[in-house]
Amino acid sequence: MKSTLEVINRMQAEGIIGRYAIGGAVGATFYLEPFATLDIDILVSLRNVQGSALLSLSPVYDYLGSRGYKTEKEYILIEGWPVQFLPPRDSLDDEGLQQALETEVEGVPTWVITAEHLTAMALKTGRAKDFARLLQFVESGVLDAERLDNILKRHGLLEKWEQFGVKFLRGDK
Amino acid sequence: MNDWMRTILESKRATRQRLQALPFSEKLKLVEKLRDRSLAIARSPLRRQQHHKA
Repeated sequence: MKSTLEVINRMQAEGIIGRYAIGGAVGATFYLEPFATLDIDILVSLRNVQGSALLSLSPVYDYLGSRGYKTEKEYILIEGWPVQFLPPRDSLDDEGLQQALETEVEGVPTWVITAEHLTAMALKTGRAKDFARLLQFVESGVLDAERLDNILKRHGLLEKWEQFGVKFLRGDK
Repeated sequence: MNDWMRTILESKRATRQRLQALPFSEKLKLVEKLRDRSLAIARSPLRRQQHHKA
């Protein structure tokens, strides 16, 4: 994973990508116990296509392709890890990317989405595995309740959070 | 809940807390091991036989 992050950092240094942050299961591992996962989700800010509001992943694919990294479905295989580059889809992703925490992996600097933003993103996505992760976040005690509450309010997720609580947390005390 | 079950749950909780407290780099090494095992299990002939039966 260290080598994968070194490649991504080089892309950033060379201006191919802007700010980035690790999300998904690998991001959650920063706060929780390690998970089995087959890929790395990278939330990334990209340059706009010239003269358009569209964002393009082409510079990422071109840069990595010219260095011998292969594409596999929606992933690019970088130093043994399938990596999915995800441009922010909404204001929650944008905020998560902006407020990501700086850390390091074996001396390599990198950024990770905050626990509260990962929680809000999982709540918004709402698949079974997202709810499982939400429960782990709640049980782990790593969440800052006030910070999470503010994020849920800002992004219109309070009702979903209440539904999640009724379904999965009621009677848990 | 009987004592035996309580002991198991407490042990599980303690292990989770110990893993949670590891440095990120250490956790990622475990993630890599977990991934390698998942891939090995997915590739095993026994697993493939089960898929064919299902």
